[in-house]
Amino acid sequence: MKEFKIGLNAKLDMLKFRDLGINREKEINKASKEIKNNDFQLNDLVKIMHPNGIRVEVTKIIKETDDTKSFYLKPLSIDTMPPFQSGAYITLLVSIDKRTYKRAYSISSSPSSLNEYRITIKKDGNGIVSNYMFNTCAIGDKFNILGPFGNFTYQSLRDQKDVVFIAGGSGITPFMAYLQDEKFLNKINSLTLFYGAKSEFDLIFKKEIDEIKNKNNKIKVIYVLSEQKRDGYSYGLIDEEKLLKEKLDNKSIFISGPIKMYFYLNEIFKKLDIPNKYIRHEIFKEIPENLTDKTFNLTIKMLDKIITIPCKGNETLINSMEKNRVKTLVHCTVGVCGFCRSKLVKGNVLTENTFLRAADKDYYYIHPCVTYPLSDVIIEIPIK
Amino acid sequence: MKDNEFDTIVIGAGNGGLTAALTLQKKGKKVLLLDKGRVPGGFASSFVRGRFEFEASLHELCEYGDESNPGEVYEIFKELGIAKSLETKIIPETFCVYETSTNSYYEMPIGEEKFLEKMESYVPNSKESMTIFFSLCKEVQAAFKYFNETKGHPDSQVLMEKFPRFMVVAPYPVEKVLKEIKMPLRARQILETYWSYLGSPASKLSFAHYASMIYSYIIKGPVILNKNSHQISLALSEEFENSGGTVKYLTGVREILVNNNEVEGIITKDNQKFLTKHIISNISPNVVFEKLIKKENVPLRANQLLNTRILGARGICIYLGLNKTMEELGLKNYSYFIYQTLNSDIEYKRMHSIYNGNLVATLKNYGKDSSILCITSLVFGDEFTRLVNKENYFEIKEKIAEHFVSSFEKNLNVNIKDAIEEIEIATPLTFARYGGHPDGVIYGYLATSYDNLLPRIMTEEQEIFIKGLRFCGGFGSRLSGYSSAYINGHQEALKTLGEDF
Repeated sequence: MKEFKIGLNAKLDMLKFRDLGINREKEINKASKEIKNNDFQLNDLVKIMHPNGIRVEVTKIIKETDDTKSFYLKPLSIDTMPPFQSGAYITLLVSIDKRTYKRAYSISSSPSSLNEYRITIKKDGNGIVSNYMFNTCAIGDKFNILGPFGNFTYQSLRDQKDVVFIAGGSGITPFMAYLQDEKFLNKINSLTLFYGAKSEFDLIFKKEIDEIKNKNNKIKVIYVLSEQKRDGYSYGLIDEEKLLKEKLDNKSIFISGPIKMYFYLNEIFKKLDIPNKYIRHEIFKEIPENLTDKTFNLTIKMLDKIITIPCKGNETLINSMEKNRVKTLVHCTVGVCGFCRSKLVKGNVLTENTFLRAADKDYYYIHPCVTYPLSDVIIEIPIK
Repeated sequence: MKDNEFDTIVIGAGNGGLTAALTLQKKGKKVLLLDKGRVPGGFASSFVRGRFEFEASLHELCEYGDESNPGEVYEIFKELGIAKSLETKIIPETFCVYETSTNSYYEMPIGEEKFLEKMESYVPNSKESMTIFFSLCKEVQAAFKYFNETKGHPDSQVLMEKFPRFMVVAPYPVEKVLKEIKMPLRARQILETYWSYLGSPASKLSFAHYASMIYSYIIKGPVILNKNSHQISLALSEEFENSGGTVKYLTGVREILVNNNEVEGIITKDNQKFLTKHIISNISPNVVFEKLIKKENVPLRANQLLNTRILGARGICIYLGLNKTMEELGLKNYSYFIYQTLNSDIEYKRMHSIYNGNLVATLKNYGKDSSILCITSLVFGDEFTRLVNKENYFEIKEKIAEHFVSSFEKNLNVNIKDAIEEIEIATPLTFARYGGHPDGVIYGYLATSYDNLLPRIMTEEQEIFIKGLRFCGGFGSRLSGYSSAYINGHQEALKTLGEDF
């Protein structure tokens, strides 16, 4: 047996080296020739928590206000809906005139009742989907949904035990999940809900909210009506004075409502020097001003073909794709989630890139759901 | 060659797959790269929350250095034409390690001399053994270089003559060799700090593997990317396409076609058929042999090898966007290893239990007034899998994060919670979701005495059970880790080039 000196007086066996392969052989020879074919438990749980789309049926439709309806969605492709955290949203796929539109809606039902999800939709002026849902959708209709997704969730490590919710109009929907979420309510010390609407008739879920509030003394609700003076309600906007009355120090503030409300509140918080850490807001889309209504060509390089469709300067690339019956990868529709990330091959665009990765910007990636064309545009998307 | 025919098909655009695909494409081959996800890189990616962009998985890149002092990975990236496009930064220290049971703390610099001196200041009389250690490291690296040059077919005569000390130490674990060279216990334990990066305790970890890694960190410095690992992934994938390669994202593979024990092609999940004689799989042998190849075509020997293997570490990562700078927090280092004890055998055992495990954290400033802290805990075994179900998942996730952040705060005596502006928590479930890895494993197969670096390299060619089917990436022959995957992907491509086309 040959020995080698290394360093001081270490003596290690040279032949050992050859044994490395031989020992491995021995181990392999000992092993069973049958594969266990074990499905991995955690990968199975992934399928339950994050299914690739769910087929649902509308089981109940409730008219909440003159222009708002709630839809109860029961799963058809799975037994129960995936668990979600309050604040989550789903993406609803709606087929109208052979076009598939995707829209994101917060889940307004309790995270502990997973037999169905409730979403609540407000009819919005010219909105194709919201008008369709409000006017045409009926019990028994079937849809595909994606999700749940989203980061408008309460995090014990980050968020305070005293919480302020500020809802404007149909922005109340994610908070409805929170208000029915026992686990969340147990974690916090106090919850103040500011809920603004035009009039008392525009307050969605008022009865439900009052019932919850009456049963839980942690919860305080302040209804603020902007166009109606009435006893028992605040009047005007949810402004600095009303907010300060409830003391905002060291409270986590969650905001969901129209973008104008968010900007208005943001100014107040800036003035009051409230750090970002304390402010969470539901995702929203800022529509740029001065968009042109010119029509351009949008060329899409897909996995196995290239197509060209018209696109208007005042519509996002995703909207144009939906209208022209092109499949999209969009989920959140407001440039946050990154699912529709596409490469801009050619052309000028106006786009919001806050939520793009730094390297993606270098290589001209965009989120077409928040991108408006300024010229003919070519993009590349991994779809068929 | 028909449209649906390729010289090589690479399955999975992780670090190994991207490197393999680009290497072959640059050598003039017609390559198809497939990935079931939307973005290149696998876990080598990043994500945005609020105003923060978080690195998903890279702690520090080994074997990189810079143009003046290039490591093996740098050389590969240079050859592939992407080195210049990467914005890298060398971290001036290797690591700082805390032993919480004794309240000890060691901070180790980069540079051979400085490392030696610092060690001597912590552990007097360690210098002599450390000097021997470094000389062994040099020989180990030279031997690995020779292994690469001979594409896994080294001449044993040359090995004996040129690398005698490598041959002697290579079969042994880290602990054994360090003991043999009479390194004082504490110096040994400090030097072994990186053991958790390779996922085996020092009594099991291959000395050659470990020496090569730590030496590279010490002489080249650990490297991070200003725009995260996503920049590497994107650079590789863009360069691949610019070189004429075909990449298809959102295209999973349903079946690998095998005939007469040879690769014939693949069928995608959306039923497209592509033909090839050469497949490099960046996805695990588990998935390939259990799900993608028809049972009657799987050689029994492949099953036997799979049955000897143990899944490696799972990871729990807490990504924190903080509204304070490192200076405001009172912390000055990038990488923190927090162990209860520096005895890696004991620590390794503890790491089978989620709430007892170690922490590896990285901290960097972000913009002018913020920083990003990423706390990772490695978990061995399947405790997490057994613990979670659909009812308790969110609660467990929150509880774990609370535990780890508190533990970091306590051991480093800092206040983190008050500075948290954004938080994201990734568990093995998250990794299983995005990577499809069995049970969310992030470290490939566990390094064991018969399944660590050298045995894998030495037997790689005889373990090609189906002609034309090779593996790269974290489940491949160089084990897991960024640099391993890049080097391994490159090598598998070169070996593929040596096959018949």
